[in-house]
Amino acid sequence: MRTIASLFSGSPFAPLQNHMENVVECVSKLEEMFAAYTQQDYERINSLAREISELEHKADLTKNEIRNNLPKSMFLAINRADLLDILSLQDTIADKAEDVALLMSLKKLEPIDELQEALKAFFDKNIETVHQAHKVLLQFNELLETSFGGKEAELVVQLVDQVAFLEHETDMLQVDLLKKLFAHDREISVSSFYLWTSIFKTMASLSNTAEKLANRVRMLLELK
Amino acid sequence: MDTTTILFILAIGFGFYMAWSIGANDVANAMGTSVGSGALTIKRAVILASILEFSGAFFVGSHVSETIRKGIISPMVFQGHPMDLVYGMIGALLAAALWLQLATYFGWPVSTTHSIVGSVIGFGMVVGGIHAIEWGKVVSIVASWVVSPLMSGAIAFLIFTLIRRQIYYKDDPVAAAKRVVPYLVFFVFLILTLTMVFKGLKNLHLHLGFEHALLIATAIGLLAAIISHFLVKRIPTVVVTRPSEKQPPMVVKGLSNIIKQLEKMIHMARGDLGSELKRIKEEVVVAKDSASLNLQAERASAEHQTVQRIFVYLQILSASFVAFAHGANDVANAVGPLAAVISILSSGLLSMKAQVPIWILGLGGVGIIIGLATWGWRVMETIGKKITELTPTRGFAAEFAAATTIVIASKLGLPISTTHTLVGAVLGVGLARGIGALNLRVISDIIVSWIITIPVGAAGAIVFYYILKAIFG
Repeated sequence: MRTIASLFSGSPFAPLQNHMENVVECVSKLEEMFAAYTQQDYERINSLAREISELEHKADLTKNEIRNNLPKSMFLAINRADLLDILSLQDTIADKAEDVALLMSLKKLEPIDELQEALKAFFDKNIETVHQAHKVLLQFNELLETSFGGKEAELVVQLVDQVAFLEHETDMLQVDLLKKLFAHDREISVSSFYLWTSIFKTMASLSNTAEKLANRVRMLLELK
Repeated sequence: MDTTTILFILAIGFGFYMAWSIGANDVANAMGTSVGSGALTIKRAVILASILEFSGAFFVGSHVSETIRKGIISPMVFQGHPMDLVYGMIGALLAAALWLQLATYFGWPVSTTHSIVGSVIGFGMVVGGIHAIEWGKVVSIVASWVVSPLMSGAIAFLIFTLIRRQIYYKDDPVAAAKRVVPYLVFFVFLILTLTMVFKGLKNLHLHLGFEHALLIATAIGLLAAIISHFLVKRIPTVVVTRPSEKQPPMVVKGLSNIIKQLEKMIHMARGDLGSELKRIKEEVVVAKDSASLNLQAERASAEHQTVQRIFVYLQILSASFVAFAHGANDVANAVGPLAAVISILSSGLLSMKAQVPIWILGLGGVGIIIGLATWGWRVMETIGKKITELTPTRGFAAEFAAATTIVIASKLGLPISTTHTLVGAVLGVGLARGIGALNLRVISDIIVSWIITIPVGAAGAIVFYYILKAIFG
């Protein structure tokens, strides 16, 4: 009676997807942050940085809950190590988003007209990569349904390829942006220059980690 | 009232109580999944379970009842002092029933079967000595306790792997499901009918050899399969009405046309325009892929829901099968000892040949139904809410495997635990990667309960035996 019921307690898959929702919430706030930067609204940048920190903390709490409820005696449809890896990668995305937010709030960064367009494209592409990786994770329910094989798995592989493509485009945009930055290095103060390169690096890690995450899911699939 | 009548009433009372608690606690296992997935209302589930439990008990329940009545303890040992057997059996019933009450109160996973078998062995050893026990039979019974979860696990693994390969891995899962379901229905009815009919209806004096039984079973199986084919044909694919950025198929088609046009232009263009157009084409390809993938993802979700809907019928069928098998195997826990007592009290003799009378089987069946109707439906509701992860496809695989194992054990006269068999089946599905997460601590709980139940049941039976002997002896 209760025996059968207690067989099913503690499945981590719904919490895992909830965690990703939290992470994506964090990352989406960066769009608002960029808008605030464009409008030179430093107050807003600071308050957004605080908000993003809060969201990242919320995601951390969810992450710890999942880890605490994953005893070795759990028999999962996927490898326990794989599950924890995916969780870790999701957590990294949230961490990096928080880092970007904090970096942007460190000083009042002047806008550089020649860089604005490339900067916006770079920010957007990174966030888009994370969203695309989210799409991969949204397929988890269907993957569980088909035991990670069949047509569903092939569909997910295509979604993963898209994430890889977006990450590649992000890399291209980053190179372009850095070149523009170096071209205008006389007009920017040393500290701003350093801050911008840090921001670019941390932003790029969003798309890099998103690609790693998507590939991690790909490794779970049973393909012919 | 003389002693015999009192003992008579006591025996029937405790036997009935045992049957009641079987109905109250165990039947939920069979129908819980169907109630949880919404396939059956509680009322319908109770009615269906009642019919099937009774049928199982009535038509196939005699084999295991015989084992408990005279298979574990040789009645001939009590030649000359048959009342000892009476006291012992009543004591066993009482001990098992009380132990179950205690375990239910504390939420321990205790098996009714193990309790009764332990109790019977217990008093048998103390009263009749070691030689009173048919150790060969006991060894085969204990072996069946280990083998039954393993066997149902293996069958469930095979069935779910079949469902996985033949349905979920195909390009059109819904069409595949509609194709596979009649075969599955055929096998369910084949096995069900075969177990009922082959050497089954002894008490109705219907003797059928294997060929005849197989013929009838195959015929019924085919009939059921054909009916199911037509029922399943009428199920349409569910359309997902979730709001999303689903692009109309026209958009995807339009983008494909644009890509074709661009490719033509890339050939004809001169100079830098060619490479520019190439870049644009790549972006359009990505956009189109993204839109078409979203479309595919939506369709996949709708298809899987439809597959589950198709399997709902099968799940109800397999749940019914489990209820039938459960009735066949577990009614013996109440009825076995009772039959032993009644046969001695009514004839004063120890009988090896006499069958378990039909009315006792009927009494056990009725007890189970009443237990289900008064208390068991609540347990069904509770369990149903907690095991929603056992979706129709998974539920069918596990239940069919468990039911087949239980019914085969019943035919062989082996009393096994239906709960543990079902746990084994669910684990089998999990091994085939059918379930997200399973808590293996349940296994260690089960093993601990095995170790504890037998000594406790035995001790209880011995205590009550001496009490009864003191009062009535």
